[in-house]
Amino acid sequence: MKHFRLGQQEIVFAVFAALFLAFSIFLKGFLTADNMLTLLQNVAVLGILGLAMAVVVIGRGIDLSLIASLAVPGGLVLQMVQNGHSLHASLLAAGVLAVAIGLVNGWLIAYAEVPPLFATLATGLFVAGLGQAALFQLDVVQWSDGMAGFERLGQGSILGIPTSIVMFAIAAIAVFVLLRQTRWGAFIYAVGDNAFAARVTGIPSRPIVVLQYVLAAVIGCFAGLVMAASVNSMPTRIFNSTMIYDVILVVVLGGIGLSGGRGGVVNVIIGTLLIGTMLNGMTILDIPYAGQNLIKGVVLLIAVITDTILNPRNEETAQQGDI
Amino acid sequence: MSEVILSLSKATKLYAGVPAIEGVDFELRRGEIHALVGENGAGKSTLTKVMAGVVSLTSGAMTVDGVAVSPRTPLEARHLGIAMVFQENSLVPTMTVAQNLFLGQERFYNRLRGIYIAAQQFLQSLNFDVAPTATVGGLGAAKKQMVEIARAVLHKAKVIIFDEPTATLTPEEKKYFFDLVRDLKRRGVSIVFISHALEEALLLADRITVLRDGKHVVTDDASRFDRARIVQAMVGRNLSNTLYGVRKDKVRPAGRRVLTIQNLKMAPMVRNTSLSVFAGQITGVFGLVGSGRTETFKIVSGILKRDFFHGGEIFLNDKSVRYRVPAPAVKAGIAYVTEDRKVEGFFETASITRNIYLGLLAKFPGGRAWLSRRERNEVGKTWIERLKVRAIGDEVKVVELSGGNQQKVVIAKSLIQDPELIIFDEPTRGVDVGAIVEIHELINRLADEGRAVVVISSYLPEVMALSDRILVSRQGKVVEEFSAIEATEEKIMYAAIH
Repeated sequence: MKHFRLGQQEIVFAVFAALFLAFSIFLKGFLTADNMLTLLQNVAVLGILGLAMAVVVIGRGIDLSLIASLAVPGGLVLQMVQNGHSLHASLLAAGVLAVAIGLVNGWLIAYAEVPPLFATLATGLFVAGLGQAALFQLDVVQWSDGMAGFERLGQGSILGIPTSIVMFAIAAIAVFVLLRQTRWGAFIYAVGDNAFAARVTGIPSRPIVVLQYVLAAVIGCFAGLVMAASVNSMPTRIFNSTMIYDVILVVVLGGIGLSGGRGGVVNVIIGTLLIGTMLNGMTILDIPYAGQNLIKGVVLLIAVITDTILNPRNEETAQQGDI
Repeated sequence: MSEVILSLSKATKLYAGVPAIEGVDFELRRGEIHALVGENGAGKSTLTKVMAGVVSLTSGAMTVDGVAVSPRTPLEARHLGIAMVFQENSLVPTMTVAQNLFLGQERFYNRLRGIYIAAQQFLQSLNFDVAPTATVGGLGAAKKQMVEIARAVLHKAKVIIFDEPTATLTPEEKKYFFDLVRDLKRRGVSIVFISHALEEALLLADRITVLRDGKHVVTDDASRFDRARIVQAMVGRNLSNTLYGVRKDKVRPAGRRVLTIQNLKMAPMVRNTSLSVFAGQITGVFGLVGSGRTETFKIVSGILKRDFFHGGEIFLNDKSVRYRVPAPAVKAGIAYVTEDRKVEGFFETASITRNIYLGLLAKFPGGRAWLSRRERNEVGKTWIERLKVRAIGDEVKVVELSGGNQQKVVIAKSLIQDPELIIFDEPTRGVDVGAIVEIHELINRLADEGRAVVVISSYLPEVMALSDRILVSRQGKVVEEFSAIEATEEKIMYAAIH
């Protein structure tokens, strides 16, 4: 007996379509080529971050250090090039830093058994502080000549599609293949669904948790590079912004349950579209910052409540706890 | 003042249509100590929970002092003068003894000094040697129990119910507890206690009630019981029960020795247990809840860790092994089918085939970096047919299946790993009758194939029907071994209780 059930992703997509339509009709300057480009560019970085967060949330975790993974390794590249290192060496250093952040997060959560919320909160603070105290000379790390050519990661277009969107698409395909087509992806879902059962079945559950956080940090670093390339600088103070809430909003609103094992890349894309449109519309409407936060807060609450109703806690989550 | 303080008549409690107790009549006399005995699942806990208002009756009547009542919450029961002391005690560990005693009765302005003085006087009047300012978390099991009892008396309880009060006590503490209970009796309190220890019941109780399979068997004065009569009443079930067949007259011979455990220790559940498991036969492990049987085999399969010092040794095929996580144990050919499939059995968001496929991926990752939908469907279909899993489709989520079919999926997930040693922990718990027969056939087939099979069960007929060899576990230790031919229910039960 199969009922047709209106899932969260269908509802969210419908809301997105309605919102987009309403903005196009009533909002001057929304449906212009320029604005669409801005919207897509903003959405691209948010979407890549959403993918990183999705990997972790599917494994029943959360990564609050994601913005630090975006800002610090990305800033490091610009800073090192400015200081005269080669672009390749700088990229390598950024990669190593991102993997290190992921490993520390993963180790804290899987082996030291610190709740992900606190572990990643602490590492995020630490990494952001490290960047500001030891790595960067200015809050905004500037572009330098050595970076020539790298801006193509975020500017211009490929086959008529803005590059940043292409980057989002590449990241989305990569994450999709990883989650749905590989053994590790299957294990991430299994650990997120029921960590006890995964363990008893013989799945190496702790290495899988570490893998999640390393993936998240690396994808976050990639988002940082795309962002730096598209604006020709790295505003490292972004860590202090409310961006992490936007990322969580994308993931939860898109329908990736916080209890783990549910949802996928499609949910991230839908969530990104809705949040991107909403943010862009609010900017054009010139809603003050405080008002935007108010609206985002309400939407996040609605999303979390919906998630709790759609994916109620069961015996297993009651025993193990979730995020 | 009638003689009977509390009575239940025709008490029935159904859980999802299955009776936990059925038509039970029970009478508690004023100022008596009444012991409840029976196997696991006989309905002792349910019966006491009904009296304490934790669960309410499906049908039947309850009276207190001759007045019909039906307490729906523990608070209502407390107002009727009934208090229950649970096995896992219900004290707040970070609070002091006095705070726990007066929990829920504090005045608006709760002066600590005031309640300390009141608690001190009260505890002294009971002759309890507990400091009111001590933090409960730091107290031993016996003192915690004292606090619980004191709280029950403070609430003016006329009836106090104990659920296995002596399970966590040392022998000296037990002796003290018995004195306490007798003292309560002198104060006119009526006492019901559940016990697995028959000697205690015989020693302490005025009357004993035996339950079996949710039904009342016999109630009589303790002086007219002896150990043999109780055991006989506990196990004497009607043999028309065709499900579990008759006794075995032939057993499979022991093959190669696959698993040897020597002096395994994990305080406090497993204490110096030693046993062996052989290929090509079924080793049944019987024990009451808390006898350490599950823990022993969870250590074998790497789910739990034995004590670091003097933890004993485990040999798999004569090679010493120590697994810190289950993954290497699975790789070495050990499979553990859990007793609690909802919590550590299946993946509820995943389909049947995916659950089974995950078992394969976990054991044989080589060459399977990329998932193959074709392989998943093939192995899924094979095992669904082999274990006769009934579902409307192979892609149905496991959480939507019946208990028996869920259990089959969990078993398939382990069997696809081609284990040499397979451990079934309560393989038919929460499983419908048809599926029980199929699962038993499957377990027999596995032994015929030459695998080493362990069946842990607290249901005697199941152990008797399946096993070629029966090990009995008691207080963290295997204490007795029977061949299935010589074993009788009485003998096994006699070894399992203390």
